[in-house]
Amino acid sequence: MMDLSKKEISILIEIIYSIVFALIFLPYFYENQETTLILMDGLVEKIIQIIICTIIYFSIAYALLEIAFKKRETRDERDDMINSKSYKLGYLLYEFSLFIFIGYVCSKFQNKELLNLTGNQELYNGFQLTDGGIVFFIIVLLASISVIKSLYQFYLYRTV
Amino acid sequence: MILKNNLKEVRQKKGFTQEELGNNVGVSRQTIISIERYRYKPTLELAMKIALKLNIKIEKLFYFEEQ
Repeated sequence: MMDLSKKEISILIEIIYSIVFALIFLPYFYENQETTLILMDGLVEKIIQIIICTIIYFSIAYALLEIAFKKRETRDERDDMINSKSYKLGYLLYEFSLFIFIGYVCSKFQNKELLNLTGNQELYNGFQLTDGGIVFFIIVLLASISVIKSLYQFYLYRTV
Repeated sequence: MILKNNLKEVRQKKGFTQEELGNNVGVSRQTIISIERYRYKPTLELAMKIALKLNIKIEKLFYFEEQ
């Protein structure tokens, strides 16, 4: 821990947040992925819980970081280079995932039409793509891209 | 060709610590360490600032070496 700089620790704080967030809150969205947002049980409470937990987590983490590293660190061109590289990776992954998602949605609708044409009513009725499912997918996407981006940023700080 | 430098030797000769040199040219200690280890190639502006601070010609501080 002593070997890590303030910037590296703040990246670790972000990584830990994304992982903890995924472990605590994702099961809720996973369970409700076949429900529409309006019908989700306790959605507003969950969102408020997420906001409050996020504020508390970052306040405590950054306060402890400021206590541990009193000296202000200079932000320079190396930080800009590392940030631009890692954000570029995040952006590319996000773009790539969106294409996959669009492809997934299109194929689902195509399959639905095929089920309709073949007269398989049971499967046809079982087909669902709700806004809850889309929200779950987007949260998983954002959390994983955020972790990958931060891990790459951390790697660059250690190696560049 | 690889871009190399004599930063560590020159800095030590001029009596600067990595922290002091960093503060003088407006970068962090980690950036100076990275330049000294050839991990990070500074921009022309930073290279010139360092050369100016160490009172040495930029071509004496940074040079190309055949691979």
